Amino acid sequence: MHDLHQSVAAGRTTGSGRRIAAAALVGWFAPLTPGVARADHDMATMSENHQDGSELSIGLAVEAARFEDTLYVGSYQGVTPSLGWMRGRFGASAAIGLYHLTENGLSTYGAGDAMLGGHLVVIERETVRAGVALHVMFPTGSELDNLGMGHTMAMPSAWATWRSAPLTVAASAGYGRALVDLGGGGHDHGPSPLVDPMNVQEVTWSAAADVDLGHGMQVGGRARGGVPIGTGHTRAIGGGRLAWGSPRISTGLEIQVGLAGDPFTIRGVVDTALRF
Amino acid sequence: MRLILLGLLGLLFAGCTTTSVPTSTKAVCPTPDPMTLTWDGFGQGFMTEFCNDCHSSTLPHSERNGAPLFHDYDMLMTVLEIPDHIDQWAGAGPAATNTIMPPPRCPSMPGGAIDRDCPQPTQQQRTDLSVWLACEVNRPHTF
Repeated sequence: MHDLHQSVAAGRTTGSGRRIAAAALVGWFAPLTPGVARADHDMATMSENHQDGSELSIGLAVEAARFEDTLYVGSYQGVTPSLGWMRGRFGASAAIGLYHLTENGLSTYGAGDAMLGGHLVVIERETVRAGVALHVMFPTGSELDNLGMGHTMAMPSAWATWRSAPLTVAASAGYGRALVDLGGGGHDHGPSPLVDPMNVQEVTWSAAADVDLGHGMQVGGRARGGVPIGTGHTRAIGGGRLAWGSPRISTGLEIQVGLAGDPFTIRGVVDTALRF
Repeated sequence: MRLILLGLLGLLFAGCTTTSVPTSTKAVCPTPDPMTLTWDGFGQGFMTEFCNDCHSSTLPHSERNGAPLFHDYDMLMTVLEIPDHIDQWAGAGPAATNTIMPPPRCPSMPGGAIDRDCPQPTQQQRTDLSVWLACEVNRPHTF
């Protein structure tokens, strides 16, 4: 989600190439759900020429992943529609993933946790932008089906981007916490939920770099993860992204691998966003 | 624009689900242990009837119909690795009656396709399960 913000900042100053770069970064910072990232990215890219008016974007992300952790082997496919809005320094986004999950031979369909987010651009310079964000995930996904956390999560974060064409670099750090009593100490079922695992309390981080290739194309690398506070599973994801598009519509292809914590073994995400 | 916003919100809330929450039953073993509920006399039969079509050490991951690996109840030794988990998902006691397991639908044979309604334990069987687990964890075992 932090991504969004970063992208927003980046998007304002220059042309479409910059906006697309920003969008790419935005997508990555979203903690988990690809659709959320897209929503954020939309917001980021939207703001360039509409600082005095509202901008709306709609996005759609399609993903497919394979996972193999201590307890479960399987795969999932997801479709995540998203909505972004931005006005001036403020922005908001909403997204929810719809999944088909196969875990240890059982096929399940259902929604994941819904996410609402808001962000504020605090610093705007020629090459540097920074801000804060708050995302909240609501337990619309079934915990028992491994589609949701089972409780509301609040995730405040801070983000920053630096750009010197054709390079854009971004990073974020945040804190995620379940809005429940954390003293439960229940049976550990491994990374959960399977479609986008998080810890009930964790520090989140992300980093990204993108290079403009010209003709509206951009390529970049990504890393992000979570470190549990208390019990849990350290999680790290790395990936590469290729994005292309125009100020009005942009599309990205991302290949991700789970580096630690078994979030998945490999995941592919295709996302597209339309701004108006 | 408002229509799109309303549509997205509708989609958000269309996905809402209600789920049971695994809860400790707080069942306790009578003192002294009456030895009326045992693995041979109760536990093994309960697991065979209600659990082992999916929770069996003989089933590979692809035939477990969603049952997590290492959650195998065909041996007392593996049952006693996670007694609290079993209590919280299928047991009954003073603090809770957990009916998360068995699920609504089951395979007709271990590892088979899900093609029938799962047999469900009675309230008394769920209560016996939790009491048996509370007793069994404190009994001496050689494994």
